[in-house]
Amino acid sequence: MRDLRNGLVVLLAMFFFAGSVAAQDVKLRPMRPIYIDSLGAAIRAPEGVAYDGSSRLVVADTGNRRLLVFEVSEDSISPSAEYRVSQVPLPVRVRFDSGGGILALDAKSHQIARLSSTGTFKSFVEIEPASGRRSVAVKGFELDADDNLYVLDAAGARIVVLDAAGVLQRSIAFAPEVGFLSDLTVNAAGAVFAIDSVERRVFVARKGDEALSPLTDVMDEDMAFPTAIAADGSGYLYISDRGGSGIVVVGDNGSFHGRHSGRGRSQGFLWYPSGLAAGGDYLFVADRGNNRVQVFSISR
Amino acid sequence: MSLFNKLAVLVALGLAAPAFADNPYRLKPGAGGELCLECHLTIQETMELPHVHTPVKEGDCSDCHNPHTSAHGQLLAVEEGEICGMCHDDIVPDEPRSVHAAIIEGNCNSCHDPHASQHANGLTEAGNQLCFSCHDAMATKLGNARFPHAPAADDCLTCHDPHASTEAEFLLTQETSALCADCHDASNATFVERHMGYPVAESRCTSCHDPHGGDTSGIFLANVHAPLTRKMCNQCHGDPSSPDALTTKKVGQELCRGCHSKELNEIQARSRVHWPVVDDTSCLHCHNPHASNESGLLTAPTTAMCGSCHENSVKMLDAAAFKHAPAAEGNCSVCHDPHASDNLLLMQSARIEDLCSNCHDWSSHTSHPIGEGLTDQRNMNVTMDCMSCHEAHGSSFRAVLAKDPRGDLCVDCHQRIAK
Repeated sequence: MRDLRNGLVVLLAMFFFAGSVAAQDVKLRPMRPIYIDSLGAAIRAPEGVAYDGSSRLVVADTGNRRLLVFEVSEDSISPSAEYRVSQVPLPVRVRFDSGGGILALDAKSHQIARLSSTGTFKSFVEIEPASGRRSVAVKGFELDADDNLYVLDAAGARIVVLDAAGVLQRSIAFAPEVGFLSDLTVNAAGAVFAIDSVERRVFVARKGDEALSPLTDVMDEDMAFPTAIAADGSGYLYISDRGGSGIVVVGDNGSFHGRHSGRGRSQGFLWYPSGLAAGGDYLFVADRGNNRVQVFSISR
Repeated sequence: MSLFNKLAVLVALGLAAPAFADNPYRLKPGAGGELCLECHLTIQETMELPHVHTPVKEGDCSDCHNPHTSAHGQLLAVEEGEICGMCHDDIVPDEPRSVHAAIIEGNCNSCHDPHASQHANGLTEAGNQLCFSCHDAMATKLGNARFPHAPAADDCLTCHDPHASTEAEFLLTQETSALCADCHDASNATFVERHMGYPVAESRCTSCHDPHGGDTSGIFLANVHAPLTRKMCNQCHGDPSSPDALTTKKVGQELCRGCHSKELNEIQARSRVHWPVVDDTSCLHCHNPHASNESGLLTAPTTAMCGSCHENSVKMLDAAAFKHAPAAEGNCSVCHDPHASDNLLLMQSARIEDLCSNCHDWSSHTSHPIGEGLTDQRNMNVTMDCMSCHEAHGSSFRAVLAKDPRGDLCVDCHQRIAK
């Protein structure tokens, strides 16, 4: 009997200990940031970044009105191409599709452009305004593994899902609790996560849900003004807190897994960070105010 | 002890027990309160006032005070903010829409004297004077208004509940239109004529009128949108006799564009448009289309309005020991363009030095070099500017410095000095 009781005590202790570890079980280790293009010219106020998970990284070098592509290997990240696309004068969000093509959101027109893998403009993504609305204003977007496109339409207060051919699949309504959604991401299970800058909380629509619902409580102790979110393939969401110059990690079940970095100019710190991308063991952050891309290695 | 003696002791104890049970602490008569008055003579005088709190009147001082010791001030039985609620637990109804700040803060004594008062309900002052003891700006406003609204000037409680309201914001006893309708008959011919025949009975009256008073006979808010001043409601709305008279002719900024096309074109031409301007609600996120007490027909003072989304900036500013004057005064637009900009953070200038130099001659206050070509030692892609040392809104250090000027501020860059 005593053995059983002692066993229970040990199990309880392990349970609580496991809980305390869970809050810090994702570590971000800063690596050398990306500062320049192939000619040595400085990156300026980048706002978006995308990683294909293996070898290519594209940076929306917003302040220089261009896209920069980098080759990523185990021991280096090297600039490989620069694309200036007249239809996308102010790129702020970028993503790769499964064929290596690039999708880029332009901050001025609020439209998403489809580019070839070599940066040639192909077309704008066509989206009909929401019922009763006059316009579409894209704030953020994400692609899933099947190239379905998830678009955050701020003017229509909705997320629209288009298939790879651009055909509307479904529309996800905002939750009544929403303040202002700035960005969204999708995990491998097809769940859509959106970050609310004003309410400082994450919303979710699991596969089949017609509307977003709160995933987390209001996180005003952990975030000041979050503006971007990215999912990795391991059940974690990375949130770029622009107002607080930090990265917050949340599980895709809403659990809190820590806050990282802080405001500063030195390597590893952030200054009004913007978009981010997670893949493999890397997290790339468009460190807008520091004119660089901050790279972190992730250990889980 | 013999059996007889044991029985005798038991009988004696049995006889004594009832008296002990009635007064286990052997309290003197009046120990619940009347005894207190033998020392607390001022309370005795207080009891002669016309309105005495029931426990005081009944001599139950110990209802609120512990006669021996307490962890709370005034030997109160519980925390000051909680003591009234021990009896008056129905002051705040379930699911209130607004609650008086004094109650939220547990500060009942700001209005009520807990012992006795000259005024009914133990109020410390009579009528509006009590409200004005905190809401002094309202006293000034009513005093200065050429046309004070009579109910407001007479008694705040005509419209407001002093404790809480389940019906409306601002402690109003009803929603605005219903509240106003108690006195103003919307079917009255004069009312109809004054409102150009528009069916405004269900509308929010405070969209145009100041419920406390103003300098016009119609007690309009201080700044009125020009079409309304000219009684040209149909510039934006349908004909008053049409079924959708109050519906606007167009939606959002398309309606505003009819007069403000120049401003809107300038906004759209910028690289970065503030997101509230982008959607269908557009201008109405921040501007009242009828009237406002704020300049620019803003719906609220700038700090409150900007803070409704950028709460973090306001909180940080509140907590800062040293505040940048424009931010502290709510003049966000000194540095940020609230509509659109070609610059990051909707700044009014591309270069921070240019923006700051509008107010500060930086060359005269420091010999530290800043500007193009001077690289921040912490980051090869950043040049030295005002923000290298200062915060924009507020900080814990003098001159709104980002870090302690006696240490980290300089050492952050000049590491060799630290070594």
